[in-house]
Amino acid sequence: MRNDYVRKEVCKRGRIFRANFEAHSNPSLSVGHVSRVLRTPPPPTSVGLWKTQRCEHRPAPFPPDDYKSHPALRSRTLRQSKMADTMATAGAGSSGTRSGGKQSTNPADNYHLARRRTLQVVVSSLLTEAGFESAEKASVETLTEMLQSYISEIGRSAKSYCEHTARTQPTLSDIVVTLVEMGFNVDTLPAYAKRSQRMVITAPPVTNQPVTPKALTAGQNRPHPPHIPSHFPEFPDPHTYIKTPTYREPVSDYQVLREKAASQRRDVERALTRFMAKTGETQSLFKDDVSTFPLIAARPFTIPYLTALLPSELEMQQMEETDSSEQDEQTDTENLPLHISTDDSGAEKENTSVLQQNSSLTGSRNGEESLIDNPYLRPVKKPKIRRKKSLS
Amino acid sequence: MPPTGLEPARMNRKKGDKGFESPRPYKLTHQVVCINNINFQRKSVVGFVELTIFPTVANLNRIKLNSKQCRIYRVRINDLEAAFIYNDPTLEVCHNESKQRNLNYFSNAYAAAVSAVDPDAGNGELCIKVPSELWKHVDELKVLKIHINFSLDQPKGGLHFVVPSVEGSMAERGAHVFSCGYQNSTRFWFPCVDSYSELCTWKLEFTVDAAMVAVSNGDLVETVYTHDMRKKTFHYMLTIPTAASNIALAIGPFEILVDPYMHEVTHFCLPQLLPLLKHTTSYLHEVFEFYEEILTCRYPYSCFKTVFIDEAYVEVAAYASMSIFSTNLLHSAMIIDETPLTRRCLAQSLAQQFFGCFISRMSWSDEWVLKGISGYIYGLWMKKTFGVNEYRHWIKEELDKIVAYELKTGGVLLHPIFGGGKEKDNPASHLYFSIKHPHTLSWEYYTMFQCKAHLVMRLIENRISMEFMLQVFNKLLSLASTASSQKFQSHMWSQMLVSTFGFLKSISNVSGKDIQPLIKQWVDQSGVVKFYGSFAFNRKRNVLELEIKQDYTSPGTQKYVGPLKVTVQELDGSFNHTLQIEENSLKHDIPCHSKSRRNKKKKIPLMNGEEVDMDLSAMDADSPLLWIRIDPDMSVLRKVEFEQADFMWQYQLRYERDVVAQQESILALEKFPTPASRLALTDILEQEQCFYRVRMSACFCLAKIANSMVSTWTGPPAMKSLFTRMFCCKTCPNIVKTNNFMSFQSYFLQKTMPVAMALLRDVHNLCPKEVLTFILDLIKYNDNRKNKFSDNYYRAEMIDALANSVTPAVSVNNEVRTLDNLNPDVRLILEEITRFLNMEKLLPSYRHTITVSCLRAIRVLQKNGHVPSDPTLFKSYAEYGHFVDIRIAALEAVVDYTKVDRSYEELQWLLNMIQNDPVPYVRHKILHMLTKNPPFTKNMESPLCNEALVDQLWKLMNSGTSHDWRLRCGAVDLYFTLFGLSRPSCLPLPELGLVLNLKEKKAVLNPTIIPEVITGNQETAINPSGHAQLVGFQNPFSSSQDEEEIDMDTVHDSQAFISHHLNMLERPSTPGLSKYRPASSRALMPQHSPGGDGTPLTKPQWGMELARKGTGIHLGVFNLEGKEQSPLEMSMHPVATAPLSVFSKESTSSKHSDHHHHHHHEHKKKKKKHKHKHKHKHKHESKEKDKEPFTFSSPASGRSIRSPSLSD
Repeated sequence: MRNDYVRKEVCKRGRIFRANFEAHSNPSLSVGHVSRVLRTPPPPTSVGLWKTQRCEHRPAPFPPDDYKSHPALRSRTLRQSKMADTMATAGAGSSGTRSGGKQSTNPADNYHLARRRTLQVVVSSLLTEAGFESAEKASVETLTEMLQSYISEIGRSAKSYCEHTARTQPTLSDIVVTLVEMGFNVDTLPAYAKRSQRMVITAPPVTNQPVTPKALTAGQNRPHPPHIPSHFPEFPDPHTYIKTPTYREPVSDYQVLREKAASQRRDVERALTRFMAKTGETQSLFKDDVSTFPLIAARPFTIPYLTALLPSELEMQQMEETDSSEQDEQTDTENLPLHISTDDSGAEKENTSVLQQNSSLTGSRNGEESLIDNPYLRPVKKPKIRRKKSLS
Repeated sequence: MPPTGLEPARMNRKKGDKGFESPRPYKLTHQVVCINNINFQRKSVVGFVELTIFPTVANLNRIKLNSKQCRIYRVRINDLEAAFIYNDPTLEVCHNESKQRNLNYFSNAYAAAVSAVDPDAGNGELCIKVPSELWKHVDELKVLKIHINFSLDQPKGGLHFVVPSVEGSMAERGAHVFSCGYQNSTRFWFPCVDSYSELCTWKLEFTVDAAMVAVSNGDLVETVYTHDMRKKTFHYMLTIPTAASNIALAIGPFEILVDPYMHEVTHFCLPQLLPLLKHTTSYLHEVFEFYEEILTCRYPYSCFKTVFIDEAYVEVAAYASMSIFSTNLLHSAMIIDETPLTRRCLAQSLAQQFFGCFISRMSWSDEWVLKGISGYIYGLWMKKTFGVNEYRHWIKEELDKIVAYELKTGGVLLHPIFGGGKEKDNPASHLYFSIKHPHTLSWEYYTMFQCKAHLVMRLIENRISMEFMLQVFNKLLSLASTASSQKFQSHMWSQMLVSTFGFLKSISNVSGKDIQPLIKQWVDQSGVVKFYGSFAFNRKRNVLELEIKQDYTSPGTQKYVGPLKVTVQELDGSFNHTLQIEENSLKHDIPCHSKSRRNKKKKIPLMNGEEVDMDLSAMDADSPLLWIRIDPDMSVLRKVEFEQADFMWQYQLRYERDVVAQQESILALEKFPTPASRLALTDILEQEQCFYRVRMSACFCLAKIANSMVSTWTGPPAMKSLFTRMFCCKTCPNIVKTNNFMSFQSYFLQKTMPVAMALLRDVHNLCPKEVLTFILDLIKYNDNRKNKFSDNYYRAEMIDALANSVTPAVSVNNEVRTLDNLNPDVRLILEEITRFLNMEKLLPSYRHTITVSCLRAIRVLQKNGHVPSDPTLFKSYAEYGHFVDIRIAALEAVVDYTKVDRSYEELQWLLNMIQNDPVPYVRHKILHMLTKNPPFTKNMESPLCNEALVDQLWKLMNSGTSHDWRLRCGAVDLYFTLFGLSRPSCLPLPELGLVLNLKEKKAVLNPTIIPEVITGNQETAINPSGHAQLVGFQNPFSSSQDEEEIDMDTVHDSQAFISHHLNMLERPSTPGLSKYRPASSRALMPQHSPGGDGTPLTKPQWGMELARKGTGIHLGVFNLEGKEQSPLEMSMHPVATAPLSVFSKESTSSKHSDHHHHHHHEHKKKKKKHKHKHKHKHKHESKEKDKEPFTFSSPASGRSIRSPSLSD
């Protein structure tokens, strides 16, 4: 349900989002200028989204240079930093429009308001870009609301994807998958970012950074392409995204590979079975010790023959693999449960599709099957009004 | 009115009798079976049968049918209510009050009970009285329709319900029911004439849940919904005359598969298994083609159905036009090992369709013909499908099996003749059960019987050629199919029955050869031949002096006289010689063809025409003999022990092309642990062309040789380098290649070698560390990802290998086994077993082969003292709900534990399971395993052997297993193994005192006694045939005492049965019994009593007769009288005491219905008893004058006089 909703929404919102994105990356606005003019304390950037990127409150505007060399940002991958900056920019922008120098509200409120403002700026600039000259406040508010929820959804979803793969920081691919999942055509994004008539929003004032030691720089950082505002963080060090040649011979020795595969499998199996044994009932061969050789307790099945006879999923998967690689052709080919209804290679040849039935139970079958005259395939007759009961 | 005395003659179907004569005074032509309600929840069945019969005698007034377990509500004949009696003496073989615990006694009583209801003797449990209104009708020999309403509640045998306890409707749960049983067991689920010789046409109707399918014999005519559309009725018609015993039924939510090659063939399996079914049956059409081709005869039925069901009674059961298989035969294409086994089962069942279902047998003694022919043509199929090597290997295997069994137990008789009881020498005197009836046979005996039957059939083929053999089969089949199409001439149907005589006559007609000697040797006689051969080469005469001795005095052996082929491989070639084995000739001179001077350049011609180079340096320079084989074609059922030099065995192994010869030489080489043997075996192992089974056995032989040579063995452990070369990576020899089982030969070798290697032992009698590491590495590096086949059997064998490597733990003063003192090697093994066993829970293997191996391995560890001996784990795996293979493996371990630890508790647990387990196969199997691996045996002192156990087992076989012939015979087997034939020694002495007990022991040991007892009993069993329609109605005087003996016996039990039923069930719907009882008794009574009273008076020779027959009965009476008795007879006493009760009742000469009127009879009985006693007294006094004085008075027998039949 949720996904459906999101997809529907995406159709409506896609355009707005794009506009929003555009707004941030408009290089025509001078970053330095804005930050100097506004001097707003920027709120923490992403309470709900990327905790790792939360910035600290800093009253004074900090120079773009500082901002660029922020280590936390530097370590991010390209897309990730873009997104983060999007938020940061938005937050800073909104707070800038509203709070000026007044800092009576608490930081959280501040942050929300600031973000809201930025979004409004973005919406407004997009509207402007689209040719609107004025807009009612209510409609701008609505659009802002939609934009906000859209961005929140990207964040939430990207976070799930990244956690699913056991990471804490989203990577580019998480975002891409998220966007694809939300129905957004990612391929159109670069072209949109480079469009000529885009508006650029000023760089947000950035809070002061925790004083972190400068990391060793390795290699020359890549310069920004023209469509990325210069206040955006720099590319991370090249070694984080380009291929680093290594000088150790990759492990291709057969023996080592086999060794590795074997011990890996064994470790996994051991860990898995131990886990199962720990979490469930066990039996032991030694009365005094139940943990050294824990045996998962024997549990009777209600239908024991099914597990005993049907190939396990792993085996079926293997079968498929060996099938697809067409290792060796055998005389009797297999009828795997997985592809029973579709393929019956080899042994059963042309008659196979004719055989697909358990239809005699339901009485329905396709035309082909009725070609075979087998009494078990014939339809069940309706009871006749006849002497049926007379026998009993 | 035909005289009764002639009736038993009908039974007497010896060779020479022509045609078939029914033991029944009527002919059954058609039967309707209608089951209109099946309740899976309650496991009950309600239905009716309708039998159409034609009387063959005018005065037919009683009709005996077979029925067990069924509750019969009502019987009508031509719409008239008919009185009936339902009694089953096999329910409780010996009576409760009897304290007899003597197996001889039991076996006799059991045989008598089975005979008393044997349809082949015209008997039955259900006796229906023809209403007097119909007598006139009957006299005109007009048709009678017997309509019987019956129900079945929680059947314990015959029909097996499988109802998994999960959620959902019965169909969703996969609940199903099927008929099962050993031999003729159809009477367990509907009333019928349960004989293989009473053929009729069938109409079968089954009303089942709409989601279910009912599969039965014959053509499915239509399927009709019931009015509420919730159920369907399956209507089947079987127009080919078929015996009731070949009728079957399977109902369940089956998935249906029409065979793609033969649309008249339909396969059924349980839900979700369709893909497996498809693969499994994809081969069946080839079997059909093969049989139809060799028999030049179409498959006789118009359709064929295979049903695969769970909890099968046997793996394969063939019925008319359908076969029921165990669902565990199904497999996917990934499984290697199961495939040939399953195909064998399919082929076996199909062979039985022709011979066994379509062609039925005349009597039990003709069973061997059917089993023989079906086994023989199955063998031909094997030869065609798996090749000559496999076939010969199989024949050899079967031959070894039957030889071993016969030598152990004393002989299997294929064609027992039970003529009139005149023959004093009982054919089966060495056995503790009667072979007169299939239902009294030990299961193992029956298995061996089938095995021998097909081997003998092969001998006949050897004699008359295969061509003639197939012509004979074709002739039998075409006669039968002509007869089967005679719709309205039911007398023709007997052509569909095969008899030994008919079969032999066909053979002589077709082949013109006389095979009488062969038949006499192997069919009419039990036992195998045991040859001892040795030879000497006489250089001067250039003659081979062969000496062949026979052992024909040991039990299970017989003397062989006739031709015997000997093949001699000389330097100049292979030569066959046919020796004539005669009475006293031991030495045979065989002239040699080759001179001992060898031309070194010359190749040596082999039997098959091949010429090979041999290294002749090993052989004796003076002799041209390479090797000698006795009876190479296995044309005698024999065991050959032949002595020849080790190098001759080695030549035989290397160069003889016959797999049997290779196998024999491998076996012989075990005794020659020399480097030369080692080399010969290694060469065989490496030879790709060599038959894989030979190579497999070479592995084990090599392991044994290596162990014998342990002090001189050089190089790596046996087979290790070989295995490395064959199956490991070239670059890293310690790592096995990733699995590729495309070549089955090398797959089997790869599986077997580590198992054999693990048997290697070093000088300390431990498995070499190197070997263990090697096996552990095999497990570690096992990689099946790229394999097309499953490696579950391979992995299982690796665990077996680990188990084989275990040696007894070194234990210091019986310390308790704990983890701390665990041997490090064992720790590694245990680690693997734990991991494998646990992984099985997550990723189960096919048929759980790995779990099975793990359980076995754990038991090995326990037994060797590495792990504390404890049955708890096995008991949990033995529970119902685990896969049957796992259960059996676990139970085997418990059985072993029971033996080793002498645990009474576990024995009780097993016995409890035998009585209560839901799966008949498992119950049977436990008994079998206990018999094979008994906790104690008859000559052993054991704390387990006590009175309670005797009573328990006695009860089990006496009454606890009446619903399953196989189980009961299994219980008898166990009882025999534990206690032997005589009264178990752990029992307190009977009141008679020590003397008797001693005598008793003597009696058992004395072989001359037992046959007598059995003979006498045999007769009692035979005589009752066909007297039923006369006694009590027309000719009270003509009935013999023996008949009455049986009748009374049955009366006794029937009464118990009926009262039991009435009490237990208290069904208002069973008024039939009580209502009609008076009627029947009224009809029977008056005619009866004169018979009872009159017989002794009118037949003065009666007592004489009994005495001649040598039953134990009169002896018992005699003892009771306290008269003199010969040691011989005295020793008979234990057998005799209990039959007294039988006798005393029997002598009251009443009919089955009599039990209703004991009050009438009581005084008469008492009177008569006295008469009998007097008779016996006279008898003995006159016959045997010199007897030791002996006084006897047994309260037990005294009690048995007041048997229940008298006491109500």
